[in-house]
Amino acid sequence: MAPSTSVADPQPSSTTDSFNSNAAAENDIRPFFVLHKASSGSKPTATVKAKRRIESPSPKLAKKSEIESVEEEDGQFFSTLRLKVFETVWSKIENTIQDVLRDSNSKVFSGVHNWICESFESVRSSGALSLSEAVRSYPVLSQPSSKQLFTALVLTRNLEMVDDLSTFEDLGLHLKSQGCHVAKLSSMDFSAKNGVGGCLRGLLRQFVMPTIDVADVTVLASWYRENGNHKNPVVIIVDDTERCSGSVLSDLILILSEWAVKVPIFLIMGVSTAHDAPRKILSANALQRLCASRFTLSSPAERMDAVLEAVFLKPCSGFTVSHKVALFMRSYFLCQDGTLTSFVKTLKIACLQHFSLEPLSIMLEHFCQDNQLPGEGTGLLTEATMKHAFDLPSVTRNKITRSTCEMLPQFLLDLQRMPNPWSIVVLCIYEAGKFDKLRLLDIFCETLDPEARYLKYFAPSAILNSQSHVSGRNSVIRRVLRKLRDLSPAQLSSLLKSWESLTAEFSEINEKVMELHPFMRNVEAAGQRPGLPTSPKKHASRSHSKLEKELKAMTDKISAVIEFMLREYMKPVETVPFNEILCFKNVDKLQSALLGDPRGRIQSDLLESHSILNCLCCSQRGTTLLPSMHDTSILYALAQEHADVINLHDWYQSFKTILIPRNSKAKSKSKTTSKSKKRKERCEEPEPPAEASIQARFCRAVMELQIAGLIRMPSKRRPDFVQRVAFSS
Amino acid sequence: MTREESSKVTRRSTRFSSSVTSDNPEPNPSHPPTVADLTFGEESITLDSLLSSFPGRRSQILDLIRLIGPLDSPALPVILYGHASTGKTSVVLQVFTHLNRPFVYSSCRTCCTPRLLFESILNQLLLHSKCSSNGYASAKRCDKPSDFVNLLKEALSSVVETLNSTKLEKKLMGKMVYLIVDHVDLIKEWDKGAMILQFLFSLSSVLKMPQLGIILISGLPPDVYYSNMGYTDPLPVYFPEYSEEELRQIFLKNQVNKKLYSAFLDVALRPFCRVTRRVEELSTSLSSLFRQYCEPLDDLSISPNEDLKRRLYSNLRPHITSCLNEVFRVSGRPHDGDTRGERRQKASYSSEKGDELEILDFHMSTSAKYLLIAAFLASRNPATLDASMFDSTGGMDNRKRKRKASEKSMEKKEMAEQEAVMKGPGSFPLERLLAIFQCIASVGDSSLGEEEDEEGEEEATGYDKESNNMMSDILLQVSSLCDANFMIKSGSCPLEGSIRYRSMVSEDLSLKVARSLSFPLSKYLYRR
Repeated sequence: MAPSTSVADPQPSSTTDSFNSNAAAENDIRPFFVLHKASSGSKPTATVKAKRRIESPSPKLAKKSEIESVEEEDGQFFSTLRLKVFETVWSKIENTIQDVLRDSNSKVFSGVHNWICESFESVRSSGALSLSEAVRSYPVLSQPSSKQLFTALVLTRNLEMVDDLSTFEDLGLHLKSQGCHVAKLSSMDFSAKNGVGGCLRGLLRQFVMPTIDVADVTVLASWYRENGNHKNPVVIIVDDTERCSGSVLSDLILILSEWAVKVPIFLIMGVSTAHDAPRKILSANALQRLCASRFTLSSPAERMDAVLEAVFLKPCSGFTVSHKVALFMRSYFLCQDGTLTSFVKTLKIACLQHFSLEPLSIMLEHFCQDNQLPGEGTGLLTEATMKHAFDLPSVTRNKITRSTCEMLPQFLLDLQRMPNPWSIVVLCIYEAGKFDKLRLLDIFCETLDPEARYLKYFAPSAILNSQSHVSGRNSVIRRVLRKLRDLSPAQLSSLLKSWESLTAEFSEINEKVMELHPFMRNVEAAGQRPGLPTSPKKHASRSHSKLEKELKAMTDKISAVIEFMLREYMKPVETVPFNEILCFKNVDKLQSALLGDPRGRIQSDLLESHSILNCLCCSQRGTTLLPSMHDTSILYALAQEHADVINLHDWYQSFKTILIPRNSKAKSKSKTTSKSKKRKERCEEPEPPAEASIQARFCRAVMELQIAGLIRMPSKRRPDFVQRVAFSS
Repeated sequence: MTREESSKVTRRSTRFSSSVTSDNPEPNPSHPPTVADLTFGEESITLDSLLSSFPGRRSQILDLIRLIGPLDSPALPVILYGHASTGKTSVVLQVFTHLNRPFVYSSCRTCCTPRLLFESILNQLLLHSKCSSNGYASAKRCDKPSDFVNLLKEALSSVVETLNSTKLEKKLMGKMVYLIVDHVDLIKEWDKGAMILQFLFSLSSVLKMPQLGIILISGLPPDVYYSNMGYTDPLPVYFPEYSEEELRQIFLKNQVNKKLYSAFLDVALRPFCRVTRRVEELSTSLSSLFRQYCEPLDDLSISPNEDLKRRLYSNLRPHITSCLNEVFRVSGRPHDGDTRGERRQKASYSSEKGDELEILDFHMSTSAKYLLIAAFLASRNPATLDASMFDSTGGMDNRKRKRKASEKSMEKKEMAEQEAVMKGPGSFPLERLLAIFQCIASVGDSSLGEEEDEEGEEEATGYDKESNNMMSDILLQVSSLCDANFMIKSGSCPLEGSIRYRSMVSEDLSLKVARSLSFPLSKYLYRR
């Protein structure tokens, strides 16, 4: 029951009663349960989420109101509808992301393929081997350089491997489609335990046949000579080189290089840190056999920018996030995890929560289907949802009342059109920021700011003392403005060109950009003059100062245009009426879904076990510990009284006094700690448990605490004490 | 092992001409395998061309031929030993080309288990070839040395029988088969390697078949294998490293423009000889260097005069030293998007410390960076100083005081410094790592926070969150740092918490990381 309730938990402001009732919640279980199952399949946070849900208090639902069955059915209808819309929207976003990633990799992939083709040709041209020669056990005697193994180091430029697992999968598929024989090994195959035999076996199983059990390279050689296999190169992909056992990988390289003439093998190694990482793990002998080329994948930040651009700035699904959510996602990406996978995961959670929280989110369907007018969707709206729509904060803020109900389609149309000038402006700033290597992620986050704090950098005072004043060093807009002054005429003109093409569809901004052209011409004219070789020095310096003047005028004008764009067209999503339909804002929900804090959860749950168990006996216990509580819970509560070491004997004694009521066993009084004396007489056990069983229970509970990572077993130095490892903050 | 290029001219002309005619890569060879396949199967080369194709190996070749003996004379086991890349394998194989006798070759590099080694030998003797029709299986399954002896006996006698019966048309192959086992030294590393080694050395006395000659090739001298187990020691033939002059002859062998190449060798070979004499290594580095040498030349067939030589040398000189240190070179691809073009990797970074140091060319999350620095500090600083380094006042003042006190005993300090270098990075428990991490992460955050305070609340919200949540994924980050070989883990039971970590990061890298965070790493490093 609990899982569904927290997600179906309505917004406090929402007045749709259908969500506030127990009955409705029960009816809602099925769709929401499905919703969650679908999402948790791919997410490691699923368990975390489950814990969070358990914790969420259910009493809120207790205030039930009687509802007509009609609304009940409506609620269910809409929740299934929202689930469906979520699936459409998310699949659209997901496809967009996949396309972007494929594009970003395609250049490297074709580069790798070309390299394989070239090298393979060079191998083949050096002379073909006959069948008998190629399968002989002794080496072909030729140039010593023939023992070189062609190797591609693919730099993934990210410490975490998660993003690139699929990249290497794709690379394998790409090469396979080009006719290469491809096998993929991971660090699992290179374990020291199985030795080189293990990875050879893995290779043969992928190349030759899945039932093979001997790790013999000669099999590979004979296979390669059969059925025209030798017309294509053999490619081995090792996706996480750093994690491999170095000695095993070295052995494999040495073996394969012995056979390199007979079986031209191309090794593709994914390197996640520096390009010299192989030198750290491979032996010198193996290193010297590698003839390495380097390929660089786009960095996570670059991919991130491409994904952002495609999902939020180009027309995609219509779904967007608020400033705070964007900031959270940014800091999560930069500080915590740094993988695109987790960013996409965050986005998916945000999207999912948006659909489960916002009844009007069904309207998003029409944003996905470009040809459809949003007006048609309003047919679906019932009275309740309409009421909800006009209670949205952004609507009440803008003083739009029910009377303008028929204008809703118009607003929605605006909403659909709205991101366009905004995203054009963001992209323009991104263009300008590229000279300073600014990331789109930063620009995106800053420009989403609903209060538009970035505008203050245009105030005359800010420009005047920009050098001395340290404030806003991290502000993107400010950095763009400052960088503008250092740009060369060539850079300026390229900036102008890209702006022109970006704004082509939006005439108001385009006009402004066009106005810059005369200034650019002036700059260019001034720039050409000192190029004359005959000009005397004095003249040159004068024309130089002229160039500077023109440049200054140009940059001033550009910053004026930027300011114009920001002021006039940068309407952040959150300021537009009805933005709640598109925009996910609840950063706390997202954060708790994503981060979960499992350790803190364990600790607080142990202390508050009754709120989970909901048993009658413990419900009114207050701060006292009762024998009916769970042993682990009792022990952990007792441990709170100690500092970082706990005397086992004391601990046991106080545990015992909890379990055995004082009046039935008076002699344990002497040993009890002060805390346990508070115990009340109220709950009397029918008969006290035996000493042995108490000891057993104690041991088991201590063990459970140890497994939960809360305490550490006694050390040799202090055999009587356990150490507390975790402290509640 | 690989002194092959010398033999190339003669061999190519014979083997490849014959192979072209019978070049039939179809799965089913037109003729069933015969005993003749155990020889090289082509005209033998003369002794003179054999000797001339291996400069500096004259005595070894003659020794070997003498030890193998004339046709059909039983021979004692022979062991060839010497450093890698001194031509052992090539010489043996070419000697058998010259003698044109049947042999079986197995390399312990390729056959990495006893079973593979045994089966490979048997397959060759039984003229069995693995193919898809027999499921790539061996002729016989053989795991144990005792089985191997029996099977080998059977196989040998059948081979010898056919050798006897077939009076081969023109060539005399004799009635003996030779067994060549390469890379014998690798057996030592195997599971139960010592036992297999003993078995191999005593094989001839166990087998008692004079028809089998045994030749072992090893990288290690024979003394390391001998144990008084009562078998006859094999006769040793030593392959010493090449001298500079011999290397010169080897490299000159196949060059088109010998004059130009010899001028190149004049300047390039000597410095390289001091580093390595392995033909394999030399040939890769020399070939790339030669390409650079020839770069200014339009016509590669000219014979250089003194003046030209001098100019070419001055052109080459800067490359030699950098080339000397490199073990592993990575060349960028033109379509890589990386405009820096071909870049050389040096074994030491000394020569490229300039701009390389500034940038960190892969992505790490901020908390992973802090963790990396924390691990570095924990490995370098003594644990006793942690309290003073990371107290509320910041490490700076304390450290100065400490330095003054220790200045009296300079000598002692130097000794300790050297000792620390010898010891390498120290190990630390996870708790210490996390404690340091929290200290430095909070320092980093607060410095960020100060800046933003002036700014207003703008980004404070974002950063607050991040410092709150910093800890949640930290253990994950620790494990991914371990995966990337930045830290290594030692210890046994994960429940005990007794795992100790050790940072494997160079100071360069950690400085780079610290710079990217603008974290004052040097302030926190304790220098003895």
